[in-house]
Amino acid sequence: MESIPFGLAALVTLFSALRVVRSPNLVHAALWLGLALLGTAALFAVLGASFLAGVQVLLYIGGVMTLTLVGIMITRRHDGLNVPAESIGHVRAGVVSVALFAVLAWAISATPGLDAAPLGPDATTQDIGHALVGTHVLAFEVVSMLLLAAMLGAIVIARRKDPAPHAVTHLHVPATAVREAAE
Amino acid sequence: MNELVHGALYGTLIATAILSTIAMGIWFERKFAGRMQQRLGPTIVGPAGLLQPFADIIKLLQKEDIVPRDADRGLFDLAPILAVVCSLGVAAVIPFSPSIIASDLDVGVLWVLGIGGLMVIPTFAAGWGSNNKFALLGAMRAIAQSVSYGVPLVLAVLVPVVLSGSLSISGIVAWQAQHHWFAVWPIVPGLPAFVIFFLAMLAESNRIPFDIPEAESELVAGITTEYTGAKFTLFYMAEYVHTLVGSALGAALFFGGWDGPFAPGLHWMVLKTLTLFVLIYWVRWSLLRFRADQLMRLCWTWLTPIGVALLLVSAAWVTFGGTN
Repeated sequence: MESIPFGLAALVTLFSALRVVRSPNLVHAALWLGLALLGTAALFAVLGASFLAGVQVLLYIGGVMTLTLVGIMITRRHDGLNVPAESIGHVRAGVVSVALFAVLAWAISATPGLDAAPLGPDATTQDIGHALVGTHVLAFEVVSMLLLAAMLGAIVIARRKDPAPHAVTHLHVPATAVREAAE
Repeated sequence: MNELVHGALYGTLIATAILSTIAMGIWFERKFAGRMQQRLGPTIVGPAGLLQPFADIIKLLQKEDIVPRDADRGLFDLAPILAVVCSLGVAAVIPFSPSIIASDLDVGVLWVLGIGGLMVIPTFAAGWGSNNKFALLGAMRAIAQSVSYGVPLVLAVLVPVVLSGSLSISGIVAWQAQHHWFAVWPIVPGLPAFVIFFLAMLAESNRIPFDIPEAESELVAGITTEYTGAKFTLFYMAEYVHTLVGSALGAALFFGGWDGPFAPGLHWMVLKTLTLFVLIYWVRWSLLRFRADQLMRLCWTWLTPIGVALLLVSAAWVTFGGTN
């Protein structure tokens, strides 16, 4: 019974992920990305990880997706926002994708102890919270330090060396021109 | 399967109730605005103009459906539908009485924030799809505004979450029914958090004094510039749904939801929701529109730091003494 909603969510996710890379229209691609992320959230929800599903919607669609859209809007060029969706090397791309998938699948299946996850499938939100700031508090803090470093880096990159406020040069209008205009 | 049937049944009921309330809310707003401006408001259609909203709806639906030639047809058509879906979706986890709730998620607060955050997508789709500079400018303002006000909104909503120790909205309401309403006690994180929630909610639903995205004197009508007929009606409806559902959320998070003496829970919830709804109208018809920079200054230099401070106070309240 559970496999039907799972299959539906997976189908939607895969289809929209395909549209993300195949759509020639940048805006459409971004919106398809939103649907793909929503589908991932639905997968989490079907599997009973409602906290993850909520966080997925909140962070990925509310955050990443929104930033992407704002980025597109701000950097809007004139009409014809089309980007070529056709790649030159289908075969090479296909080989690399399959290889990547194989490596990931092998790594996941070869990692021991995945079944003995620290939190079982019945973990409530409270359990997750306790685990995050209890047993795994070090990892939690390290991740937040990483985010802080990324934020500082972004600020450093974005900060221009602003000139002194008075350095704005006025237009030099020749005094004679002013006099002529006044007359 | 039982849960599915329950969700579909109650979801339909709640959605119908909300949409009917909105029809009457439009009548009430026009009357209320009229009285505040020393006018009578609608009087012709039906007794005391009560049938006015229906006349309005019939009028709107009769209008020609115009799609601009160079519009992005798919986005243009999708946007109004998504707007209604996102604003109605929030209502799914709000308990209108101990038993009347469409889906009692244990991460209800996350659902509310997540689905509320999705409102950016229809706004963008409408602004971009219309292929109109006013619509695009309106969408940019709306998105900047809702992203900024999302921060104080989350901070304010986290106060009841921390105080009650629950992420489920029905859990938060049940906690308040057992102990006390958060807007009343502890008054220091509670009441200011409600004020921040209220302001952020007004800003997220683009109501006056925060209706900069629709500033008709500058932007024609913002994202709805190119919309006519049924699609315009959907946007109009989505705004009202957003306001009403936001009121219900405020009532549930800060005023104890269905908790109250003498009457059934549903009555109390409806009373509290409508009180907040009227409060929004009152603000709307009393105040002028903010400027965009004033809006952003209010958000980032006042509401956000105060929100962080309130969150810390509520954490301290729970840790030291408090009522838990």
